[in-house]
Amino acid sequence: MSGVDVTGVAKSYGATRVLTDITQSFESGTFTSLLGPSGSGKTTLLRIVAGFVAPDEGSVRIAGADVTGVPVYARNIGMVFQSYALFPHMSVAANVGFGLGRRGIRGKAARAQVEEALEMVRLPGFGARHPKQLSGGQQQRVALARAIVIRPDVLLLDEPLSALDRRLRQEMQVELLRIQRESGLTTIFVTHDQEEALTLSDKVAILDRGRIVQMGRPAEVYERPRTKFAAEFLGDANFLTGIVRAGRVEIAGAAIATEDRLPPDGATVTLAVRPEKIAIRPADAAGSGALENSLPATVASVIYTGTALTYMLRSGDLSLKVFAQNSDGSPLAEGSAVVLSWAARHSVSVEG
Amino acid sequence: MPPEVGAAGLPATRRRMPPWLATAALLLPSYAWLTLAVLLPLTAMFVFSFLHATPLGNKPVVWTLEQYRAFHDQPYLLGVAWTSLAIGLWTTGICAVVGFAAALALVRATAGRTRETLLILVLLPFWTNGLVRVFSWTMVIREGGFLDVFVRWFWPSAPSLGFLYTTPAIVLGLVHGYLPYMVLTCYIALLSIDDAVIEAAQSLGARWWTVLFKILVPLAAPGLVTGAILIFVPVIGAFMEPRILGGRVGVTMGTVIEDQFTQAFNWPLGSALAFTMLAVVLAVFATFSGVLRRSAAT
Amino acid sequence: MTSLARIFLGLVLVFLYLPIVVMAAMGFNASPLYALPFDFSTHWYEELAGNGRLIEAGWNSIWLAVLTAVIATALGTLAALALWRRTFRGRAILRILLLPPIAIPWLITGTAMLVFFFWTGIGRGLHAMLIGHVALAIPYVVLVVGTGLQTLRADLEEAAMSLGSTPIHAFFRVTLPLLMPSIVGAALFAFAVSLDQFVISYFLSVPGMTTLPVEIYSAIRKGFTPEINAISTILLVASMIVILGFARFARPGGIGERS
Repeated sequence: MSGVDVTGVAKSYGATRVLTDITQSFESGTFTSLLGPSGSGKTTLLRIVAGFVAPDEGSVRIAGADVTGVPVYARNIGMVFQSYALFPHMSVAANVGFGLGRRGIRGKAARAQVEEALEMVRLPGFGARHPKQLSGGQQQRVALARAIVIRPDVLLLDEPLSALDRRLRQEMQVELLRIQRESGLTTIFVTHDQEEALTLSDKVAILDRGRIVQMGRPAEVYERPRTKFAAEFLGDANFLTGIVRAGRVEIAGAAIATEDRLPPDGATVTLAVRPEKIAIRPADAAGSGALENSLPATVASVIYTGTALTYMLRSGDLSLKVFAQNSDGSPLAEGSAVVLSWAARHSVSVEG
Repeated sequence: MPPEVGAAGLPATRRRMPPWLATAALLLPSYAWLTLAVLLPLTAMFVFSFLHATPLGNKPVVWTLEQYRAFHDQPYLLGVAWTSLAIGLWTTGICAVVGFAAALALVRATAGRTRETLLILVLLPFWTNGLVRVFSWTMVIREGGFLDVFVRWFWPSAPSLGFLYTTPAIVLGLVHGYLPYMVLTCYIALLSIDDAVIEAAQSLGARWWTVLFKILVPLAAPGLVTGAILIFVPVIGAFMEPRILGGRVGVTMGTVIEDQFTQAFNWPLGSALAFTMLAVVLAVFATFSGVLRRSAAT
Repeated sequence: MTSLARIFLGLVLVFLYLPIVVMAAMGFNASPLYALPFDFSTHWYEELAGNGRLIEAGWNSIWLAVLTAVIATALGTLAALALWRRTFRGRAILRILLLPPIAIPWLITGTAMLVFFFWTGIGRGLHAMLIGHVALAIPYVVLVVGTGLQTLRADLEEAAMSLGSTPIHAFFRVTLPLLMPSIVGAALFAFAVSLDQFVISYFLSVPGMTTLPVEIYSAIRKGFTPEINAISTILLVASMIVILGFARFARPGGIGERS
């Protein structure tokens, strides 16, 4: 069964097109991240699913029912806001019980469900406190409890972790994942943090200027980015542009191999290569013949970060970046000649 | 709440009021009231200013522009206008200097609760009855008033320093009335200046007067201008302060206009003079609207 | 430098409070001619209690201020909701239209009301003053409540709606309780505006139907009596209390505040 279906959704504010023809299924019980830079339309898409924004075109179905014309309050959604939006004049229990009250669940039954939800977010017995008395992380948990206690058809999270500091954020990521797995809720999570999206999601959807450019499992999207934007926004990438010649791509005098299907000879293509997939060795060292591609280069600069090294290199007109483990503690010197090599399956053909 | 419920026990979607109707319903009472009590009266007054005489009884209505020639026909009005302008400029100027200095002292020499308390103390008199405050000055500056008593305490044969019923007395009362405005607007403007900017200037070798005139005054200019407008506009329309503190000297545009409505019963002339004053007010607003908008934005 | 600045601030405060203190003190001085030495007496307050005209004007002032506060707060709050929570064409112009009652000298507004009310047969008197006072107070209420709405995050209402509240339910359960400090503050503000209003009341009063400031003005023009000091002191203290109450409610730090 399908959790949320968005079909042909478009939205403009005046002359600005925010979303263009979005068609996407969010499967029941999955955790999907909408990942994109600010202005990519990810929040607008979330607010269209929630019902705060009406799409200009297209339809939204939640749990099989068409809700396009249904106002927010009749949609049975659970939403966690960036600022948590806890009601400051109500106790934690009243906050969590708010949605139950709207569904006619009051008294003993409501109290039991509220306590159960608070236990789920590991805040048992916090019901009598006021939001002001809670830390940022605790407020976050209450907001989550408030959203899940009503057993919504879809849980919508609008950058809920962005206000927390780094350590708390990592802790909450683990909690969020556990709660989502335990509750089995279809979850849509908006974020601009690529690491967060990779860690949490079953599926990642990358948005660029109002379109979903790629959606898939995190590893799939990371290893096989479909566009330059996807490759760059999720992780780091070297882009090698060259001309197809006999099943290979000619770049800086070398013929680069790829396992992707290539257009006919003479066409221009761009290959993306992740910096950590490239092996680097001095030009005079013995070669590792196992890797299909090799490219001579010169070290332009080295950035030393302790556990890892980042090499900035030049090969002809090309600038490249390579991540290497700091395994022997002596980085290659600037200006030294090196050979870069990587496997054919790590040259990923991407669209401009 | 109605018993009809939709899916999952939620309220069903019902036909709602169109949004524009709800907006209109919210706005109508206030704006109808403002129209009745302010906008229509101003319009009516504008119409009156083109009449020859107050329309009483069966007198025929005669349209004329003569009221707007008053400054030409009654040259003494020019003198009155000049007095009003001078009072306005003196009041605004003194308020600017004293108010800016007070705001600066508040921002740079006090902090925390003390600052908050001092600010409230400065602003509090502003929200008390202006008439009563003006009246209270008469007790201080009249001949044999508190000022004289105080001075003669040290120097028993001192001549009277009382200056009630003079133009400086009017200015004093007006400064007292409107100073808090200037303190507040300058305070807000000065508060937003980053300490680091001042430290940067000092690190570049600026002395205090350079910091004051090259950094603080220019950055607080929107506050000074806002304060000046908020003071100048009501001051040129003042009539109660000149009456009480100026006595026979206190003839200003404000008192002349008031006379037309309460004594001379020449409403058309009063209306024309009021609209001339309004034109001056609007000109002041228009000239400085850019500065006002900028200070409102921050 | 710092101590110099503090001395200056002290002098400013002396300037602001000196006449008020002198006046209040003279209300307790037995001599009607402000003579010293000071001779404490509540004589003038007793006189005041027997002055029917002033007492009646005082009650008029209070009733007028209460009615003004109630009407202006009700109307102004509704308008603030539209002006700060809804988007529509002409919103900027409507906000600008709030300014005339604040920005135009009261002398002009007051005389304009006199002309118009006379012309239309509304006439003068307490009812005319009420129309004028409410009009003066509405813009202040809209601005105070609007500021409160601005600091009140819109996502609280959205959160309520996401949990199943209709817009109306969300307003009564979430917005209104959180906005209450601003609304109470606005009401106190409107009360103070009306209580201290002199210019408009002056032009719209008729003999026998005046407010306290108008009555004080005519008494001052006729000649001083320390009775005026007594009633003035009462009026000053009353408006200071109301305004301190306003500061208590409407300042950030009420429950509607962001953490």
